[in-house]
Amino acid sequence: MKLSDLKVGESALVTKVEGKGAIHRRLLSMGILPGTVIRMVRISPLGDPIAYEIRGVFISLRRDEAKYIEVEKIVPLNLVPPGERVRVILVDGGPGFMRNLSEMGITPGKMVEILRGCCPMSVRTELGVFQVGMGIASRVFVR
Amino acid sequence: MLIALAGNPNTGKSTIFNALTGAHQHIGNWPGVTVEKKEGHVEFEGESIKIVDLPGTYSLTSYSLEELIARNFIIEEMPDVVIDVVDATNLERNLYLFTELLELTGKIVIALNMFDEARRKYKINVKRMREILGLPVIPTVAIKGHGIKELLQESLHGNFAPKGMEYPDDVERRIQKLLKVLEKYKVKNPRWHAIKLIENDGEVIKKIQSIGARDAIHLAEHLRHEIEDIYGDDIETLFASFRYSFAHGLFHEVAEPINVGGVTLTDMIDHVVAHKIFGIPIFLVIMYLAFNFVFEVAAPFQDAIDLIFNGKDIAGGGHINGLIDISYNWMASFMPNWLASFINHGMLRGLGAVLTFTPIIMLLFLILSVLEDSGYLARVAFLMDRLMRKIGLEGRGIISIMLGFGCNVPAIMSTRALRNERERKLSIALNPLIPCGARIQVFAFITSIFFVSHKAVVLWSLLLLSMVVVALVGFVYSRTIFKGRAEPFVMELPPYRLPTIKGLGVHMWEKSEGFLRKAGTIIIGAAGIIWLFAALPWGVEYGSQASYIGQIANFLAPLGHAFGLTPEALISLFFGFFAKEVVIDTFTVLFGTKSAMLASMTALQAYSFLVFLLFYTPCVATLATVYQETRSWKFVLFVVLEGFLLAIFFSFLVYQVGTLLGVGG
Ligand SMILES: Nc1nc2c(ncn2[C@@H]2O[C@H](COP(=O)(O)OP(=O)(O)OP(=O)(O)O)[C@@H](O)[C@H]2O)c(=O)[nH]1
Repeated sequence: MKLSDLKVGESALVTKVEGKGAIHRRLLSMGILPGTVIRMVRISPLGDPIAYEIRGVFISLRRDEAKYIEVEKIVPLNLVPPGERVRVILVDGGPGFMRNLSEMGITPGKMVEILRGCCPMSVRTELGVFQVGMGIASRVFVR
Repeated sequence: MLIALAGNPNTGKSTIFNALTGAHQHIGNWPGVTVEKKEGHVEFEGESIKIVDLPGTYSLTSYSLEELIARNFIIEEMPDVVIDVVDATNLERNLYLFTELLELTGKIVIALNMFDEARRKYKINVKRMREILGLPVIPTVAIKGHGIKELLQESLHGNFAPKGMEYPDDVERRIQKLLKVLEKYKVKNPRWHAIKLIENDGEVIKKIQSIGARDAIHLAEHLRHEIEDIYGDDIETLFASFRYSFAHGLFHEVAEPINVGGVTLTDMIDHVVAHKIFGIPIFLVIMYLAFNFVFEVAAPFQDAIDLIFNGKDIAGGGHINGLIDISYNWMASFMPNWLASFINHGMLRGLGAVLTFTPIIMLLFLILSVLEDSGYLARVAFLMDRLMRKIGLEGRGIISIMLGFGCNVPAIMSTRALRNERERKLSIALNPLIPCGARIQVFAFITSIFFVSHKAVVLWSLLLLSMVVVALVGFVYSRTIFKGRAEPFVMELPPYRLPTIKGLGVHMWEKSEGFLRKAGTIIIGAAGIIWLFAALPWGVEYGSQASYIGQIANFLAPLGHAFGLTPEALISLFFGFFAKEVVIDTFTVLFGTKSAMLASMTALQAYSFLVFLLFYTPCVATLATVYQETRSWKFVLFVVLEGFLLAIFFSFLVYQVGTLLGVGG
């Protein structure tokens, strides 16, 4: 799907940045790259442009420009309802953060089952049952 | 010594520049373009240092004017040191530009600006950052002046042992291969050229072609395809990814987030001011309040300036002398009358007319600075972009249009916020068509005499006419003479900040002073010329039918007839060229009483006159500003012609159609 198809509050993972010339380069230099997580924040009252959160920064893109960005929808772990089993797509953080999570069995590609939503959240992974803080869960993206 | 300041937009670069150079700065344009260039000087430890502020950019590609200016400056002028101003609250994105700078020069000092705000978000390990990069890294808080001295110290004595950014081996190997070929041709900075050739950078390819290095170009093309095949994406995406993964890695190595979580203040404010329904009404209310503030606060200052220059008539008869009278009497005592009159009634009065407007100009700059520094301007662009795009501008274009209702001078200067040359020129060309405060004053004066019972309708019809014309002209221009490729509108919405008093003061002063000093000379000169027309041949009554301007008006009278313009109206329009509100004085002087004015024109003629006044040439101060911003007399001429053509067209239309229908006769 295209980035412009996201609804308010939804997140997505960039898979490809299309376009040519200036716009292609500008999107890339703002840090919109394959593998980047983007959240749709709000739409302008006139329906265009749209504000997105990218790498901790709010950026406004016109619909025509957002169309160049291919994404796949993902969900932060903290928004997954209890009882569901989901696949981890991306862990958003530094090496230390990723190491801590991998010790709980939360790494890209692995399945996670939500046992309890809040609070704290508890999940079952290949390595056992763990409790995860909401701040951490919001940086784990699944599908 | 030469230091260049580079960095992303909105990182505090200007604030650092001001802190470094103090009052010793010069604002101009980069050669041939309307992009602002700031230069300054500082004496530090006996060393005379020149500082150049490069345009704020996100990268150094060849796709935008600003980016080309920045990188060409570094390549060609070879500054001794580049200070990379980094927004420490947004390290990852800012470090991307750093990776590009690092390929151009090894002499970089990193200023971690906004360190005060960043400290609340992360724990930043500055020492570690220094070790990893092998370059000086200085935390700064530009608004408080912290770290500024250290920047100069490190620029002079710092240790520069950059550990460049590494590309993956299979890419690095190919860069080296190309590097060998390029070294044959003795290009400066071969590594950068090699990388840019592989990246398919249009400007660099042209340059390398011009030195005849065909083999390098072919090899680069071949290597590019190889890399694209290995990694399965296009070359631009790949190189951006390499750089970002370096920035990402560095960021996580040196910054540890302090988990605050939750909704930020900026998010909360945006929830209200960028709201689906309330966003636009809130914007209109803010602008309305801002304008009220400007005019309320300016009024007493304007009166005071008027009093100082022109003195005042006392109710019971008699006159308190103003500066002009006093100076005239004094000069007349030792020089010929005509010269004293030329200096005082010509140039000094012209200066007075313009100065009367400076309080409004300064306050409008203040409003503009508040909008910019607080971060609200970006939201305005977000709200209005869709609407403005119809007339070929991006969202920020609305600001110059709104300011235009106050005064066209700050409005035209505010177009600097537009990052695209084409859009800047378009909005400069449109701005004079917006009735400024002075013209609205004249409208109010004339309508209060000729349209007593329909004042509001007449006023609104004129405002409406100007909006329709601006929209139509914008629509046509953006598809004809100001056509160009649409620039990307990828815009950052920065966090809200409370503007500092000092920052606002500096911004306001910088802009007002620039206007007064540069436009001032043109204005005084023009005022002198106007005086010559009105006072010669020597001996006639100033501005009367016998003066040159009176003769010209009489000569043009048959022509003016087609528009319903009387010779008096033509004379007043001529004086309006000074400053539009002078039209009121001229009417008062020429007619004396209201009934005399009423007798001189029909209501239809008066309306046609107002329509003419709405569009015909902008005042001297506005033209001087147009010149200052575009550096092109051709453009100034264009603006004058555009105004006259519209004025002639619409007032002819109004008068002829009105006469046919027999209205207002
Ligand atoms: N808290 C904080 N604010 C800062 C600091 N430095 C600058 N600012 C604010 O950041 C805003 C942007 O600063 P500018 O100096 O205009 O930024 P710039 O990089 O020149 O921006 P452009 O003109 O868009 O290129 C202003 O509101 C400043 O007051 C700092 O060290 N700390």
